[in-house]
Amino acid sequence: VHGTFGGWQMTETVMAKNIFKWNKLGKLFDPKDLTIASWMKEFAQSPSALIMDDCVRVYFCSRPTPGPDGQYLSYISYIDLDRTNLTNILRICPEPVMELGKFGTFDEFGTYPVSVIRTGEEIRAYYAGWTRCESVPFNAAIGMAVSHDNGKTFHRLGDGPVLSYTPDEPFLLGSPRVRKFGDQWRLWYVAGKEWRVIDGSPEPVYKIRTATSDNGIDWVKHRRDIIADKLGEHECQACPDVTFSNGIYHMFFSYRDIRDYKSGIGGYRIGYASSADMIEWDRDDTAVDIQLSESGWDSEMVNYPHIFQVDGSSYMLFQGNGMGRAGFGLAVLESEDAWART
Amino acid sequence: MKWRKLGKLFDPTQHVLPNRCVEFAQSPQTLVLDDRVRVYFSTRERDSSGKYLSHVAFADFSRDMARLLEVSKHTVLPLGGLGCFDEHGIFPINVLQDGDRVLAYTTGWNRKVSVSADASIGLAISNDGGHSFQRHGTGPVLTASLNEPFLVADAFVQRYGGVYHMWYIFGTKWEKFIEAEAPDRVYKIAHATSADGLSWNRDGRQIVGDRLNGDECQALPTVFALDGIYHMYFCYRQASGFRKDHRRAYRLGYAHSTDLENWVRDDGLAGIDLSDEGWDSQMQCYPHTFQVDQKYYIIYNGNEFGRTGFGIAELER
Repeated sequence: VHGTFGGWQMTETVMAKNIFKWNKLGKLFDPKDLTIASWMKEFAQSPSALIMDDCVRVYFCSRPTPGPDGQYLSYISYIDLDRTNLTNILRICPEPVMELGKFGTFDEFGTYPVSVIRTGEEIRAYYAGWTRCESVPFNAAIGMAVSHDNGKTFHRLGDGPVLSYTPDEPFLLGSPRVRKFGDQWRLWYVAGKEWRVIDGSPEPVYKIRTATSDNGIDWVKHRRDIIADKLGEHECQACPDVTFSNGIYHMFFSYRDIRDYKSGIGGYRIGYASSADMIEWDRDDTAVDIQLSESGWDSEMVNYPHIFQVDGSSYMLFQGNGMGRAGFGLAVLESEDAWART
Repeated sequence: MKWRKLGKLFDPTQHVLPNRCVEFAQSPQTLVLDDRVRVYFSTRERDSSGKYLSHVAFADFSRDMARLLEVSKHTVLPLGGLGCFDEHGIFPINVLQDGDRVLAYTTGWNRKVSVSADASIGLAISNDGGHSFQRHGTGPVLTASLNEPFLVADAFVQRYGGVYHMWYIFGTKWEKFIEAEAPDRVYKIAHATSADGLSWNRDGRQIVGDRLNGDECQALPTVFALDGIYHMYFCYRQASGFRKDHRRAYRLGYAHSTDLENWVRDDGLAGIDLSDEGWDSQMQCYPHTFQVDQKYYIIYNGNEFGRTGFGIAELER
């Protein structure tokens, strides 16, 4: 029930359901904090977990010092977290797990965000590749790369993307999140709808969509926006992370305004939607409770959520201020009862 | 095959063209109508930055191709919107009568930073006999894929036996053949099929062998059936130095097939070559074959990629 009738009914609805209350465990990683030499200089964005025997490996995207033109390149990296104490970092990726794409390819200028999944003996990384354009600053499409050395290095299957533009998805395919339910591969991603000129600069509008596949390579797009707007048709949605628990599909995602999003004001916040069939999604952002800190690295932004479950607890990885310029952190779900939503 | 040249057919510098276009009539492609043959082509305006924008226009000819009837004065298909694949040009356009409607497979161009541009294939549909077209979506119907990383372009579509066949090209690499100059591209001819003309199956495989070397650039395939054999014309050139050195410039190539799958290249059978002098003496490119009133024609561009128009030849049987 949505509270169009004043606060009373709203309150009743909220009280009647379980809330996902995430308790922050603090910042996990920011390359600027490193005391050792590293190729990573700034940003730790879009964390994505892979459970291993002795650790939880968190893939993310980081950047060397920008080039002479002031522009950054983004590479895929990882850290390994101690399974017995997830705030303890065991290993730091010594070099990017994959080079950028060749001249003129879709991922020549960056690989961000990334989503990682194990399938049999291989590990696959789905990522948005970035290219630079003239009339608009950039474009993106979704690529896939495979690792056969337990995730240390990744290699492309081809020089092009696995998910690219179609008549109703003309540009900006990004924010991939991959999952496999049974034999079916699922990709949630965002697709650009239009570029609007806002205060003299082109700004994109993009929405969450989904595709299915039998092999994780050949994808069938479902061709519709699956999450209702909250801020209006100019709302930008990103990072749709889906988990299955207690018979329900749960999506945590990010959304923002088309304006003022680089600060905390119009910047990304975390939304939530649930579904019984992965077709119809019921958005209810009030179901997620993760607070901005009063000060520090995550006082302005908490977004790009990624959920993983290990050793009986549920965790959320998230990036902080400046879209992860201040690094990413970890939170733990206060009560597992939250998954039992009615 | 033996083609008898009929000479230059259309010179864009002799006409007032829509969209402030002043030169170029590139990649002529036909729609045969009851009372005329409509020849679509891409012509160019310079934008405020001095770069070209390619626009679609057409010229109508009598069915014997002897008389120019009129030249389009309107916008046949506007360029794509901000950030779209066809924002900076449509070149070429391939049209196919499909029941009551006309399908147009466009190659849309968008400018990039590290390389000059990328291209994808779009679809637009006309319900007024090809006078104007509306886009099927703002995005492309065929674009980069795992094994076709960029420059998916030059669609030519025909129906054979209820199946839509598309011949097109895809880029295989961008390379700086000369370090001080901008990177050049390499592209090859491929084939796709479709049951509806919208969603296409393809395998990213080069279907016509190279003649020059592995970096040979192949473009603009056009196919017709005659006497139980499928004939393909296309153009090919060296990957670098092709703009200024006419020995490295586009030539017409030829291949034949009996099954639409396997092609035998044999340029020696093309039956058309450079003229000793004149408008097609240094370059021949962007061929298009068509049939009208039991006659087979090939129209194509000559020197300077069609800056001064296109010409025509007739098949001698």
